[in-house]
Amino acid sequence: MSRVHRGAEERLRRLLVMLPWLMERGEVPLAEVAERFRLTEGEVAADLELVAMCGLPPFVDELIDIFIDEGTVFVGVPRLFTRPLRLNSTEAFELLAAGRAAMELPGADPAGPLGRGLAKLAAALGGDAGADSGFGEGLDVDLERPEATDRVADAARRLERLRITYWSASRDESTERVITPRQVYADRGNWYVTATDHRTETLRTFRLDRIESLEPTGELGEPTDEPLPEPGQWFLDGGMPRVTLRLAPAARWVIETYPVDDVGEPDDDGWVIARLPVASDRWLERVLVRLGDRAEVVEPARLAELGRAAASRILARYRDAS
Amino acid sequence: MAERVERLTNLLALLLETSEPLSLVEIAGELRGQYPEKESARRGAFERDKAALREMGVPIEQEVVVGGPYAGSTKYWIDRARYELDDLRLEPDEMRALQVAVAATRTGSDLGQEAMWKLGSGVIDREPAVVATMPSLPGLPLLRDAIARRATVEFVYRDVDRTVEPYGLLLRDGFWYLVGFDHTRGERRTFRVDRIEGRITMGDGEQFEHPDGLNLRTVLPDDPKMLGPDGDTAEAIVRVDAVRAPAVVRELGAERLVDTNPNGDVDVRVPCANREAFRSWVLGLMEHAEVRSPADVRADIVEWLEREAAG
Repeated sequence: MSRVHRGAEERLRRLLVMLPWLMERGEVPLAEVAERFRLTEGEVAADLELVAMCGLPPFVDELIDIFIDEGTVFVGVPRLFTRPLRLNSTEAFELLAAGRAAMELPGADPAGPLGRGLAKLAAALGGDAGADSGFGEGLDVDLERPEATDRVADAARRLERLRITYWSASRDESTERVITPRQVYADRGNWYVTATDHRTETLRTFRLDRIESLEPTGELGEPTDEPLPEPGQWFLDGGMPRVTLRLAPAARWVIETYPVDDVGEPDDDGWVIARLPVASDRWLERVLVRLGDRAEVVEPARLAELGRAAASRILARYRDAS
Repeated sequence: MAERVERLTNLLALLLETSEPLSLVEIAGELRGQYPEKESARRGAFERDKAALREMGVPIEQEVVVGGPYAGSTKYWIDRARYELDDLRLEPDEMRALQVAVAATRTGSDLGQEAMWKLGSGVIDREPAVVATMPSLPGLPLLRDAIARRATVEFVYRDVDRTVEPYGLLLRDGFWYLVGFDHTRGERRTFRVDRIEGRITMGDGEQFEHPDGLNLRTVLPDDPKMLGPDGDTAEAIVRVDAVRAPAVVRELGAERLVDTNPNGDVDVRVPCANREAFRSWVLGLMEHAEVRSPADVRADIVEWLEREAAG
């Protein structure tokens, strides 16, 4: 774990949470400090040495009694920084929102430790959000999930192999596969599972609302060391083809809904040029049909005909019927 | 000159330790050699440090001296009781549950983890089995504060200056929504937080009462196809091919299933009060769906497709 540059603010913020924890313990292996605070041992040592030099006249160097010897950090009795800094409003928001979201995840128990922890937190944060109205007033997270979610999440926890029927949007057909779910996640209003697909033995991402049926195979999958892709990032694979679109203001949902590489400045009429990864031709034609004359394919030329062809195909269905 | 992190630490220590408020001249005197000599450069450096500490959440108090030789100058200090986090007395299982919650939500920032460190927790070593990504927007903490303090907020939305009594924030379908009373329009409105233009400003607290029993989830219809003009409950009949039928019935609910054909095709009732959202939904099913009735809704889709096919 190496970083190019850590700013003064970031280093101080980390020190202010590290010091009270170290003081409570007196002596801690350097490696443990580094792991706990997601730093390298070198970074911890540099920051602690620096803070050991802090102090005010006439007690320069005496603000914090701290030294590192043979891989162990020793901290003396301090005057300052014995309690962590209170949460700022951004941290408080992130924590409350995370708690609210976690309550919505499969397997959450509102009466369990999370609920109790959040109630204490809300009370400590004070104001209306705490004492008066109970936690969560005015802050809500709605992660409605497809039926299959709980069973797949359960399988991910136990590494259970499942046999599923899955409708693939890119090929427009249903197929049967055997998968070992690794991680279930919600992103931009949809639920997905990252799983080992045993046809190819590779990690693939499936949308849970497209799983048409599932049953346990009775077998357990193997644990994997393969790093899971960051939720929502599998799309950003550099090998995927790209399309450049010109989008009207009413087509803005496209750049809010799908991952984009970049978006230009709006022109006088509010149109923008955006570059997006193309999951499949099938995906792009669906987007283009829904956008109609609110989008133009700038390049590549190969993709410019997709929307028109798809519209003709759908239209044929209406003409046959009438 | 000392490293900036050292100067920030010393400034923080000084303001926490001082028994009486200090002016910038006094602060620079105590932190000898750490601030520039020249007055304007010193003021600039100090203001940057002060802003950095406040950004972290350090509550720096200030007051302007009235009378005496230093009249008009500003003095600074930190109230230790306001600086320090209260002991929440979290049980180990509660701490663990909060830590799991933070690990299970991805916001693109480390702030949830920073908060957990302050509460005395470490990091989760195992990748959680279930996670949710949540968009992180700069305006959210301020809006939450305003909701809790019952303070009116002002911002620009759809090119209009708004004054809003904020009631609540809801995350749904990957977007944060603000529900509140819009003074500009004289009615309750919902705003997409990521579409608020520019800065949000907050007025004084305790300016309004929250409506009783407001349920954010029901204020905002969860189906955009229903978001038509008030009271419009129009519906269309849509035929869906067998290959997409199970997913569509799951999405809409079994009560919207009108008919199942022997080949597995289904006819479903779909809200279409919001024609835009309805069209987008039907076309998302591509050639696997066809609007059967009413005639004007069907004609609308056909006309849209003809225009697109003609290019």
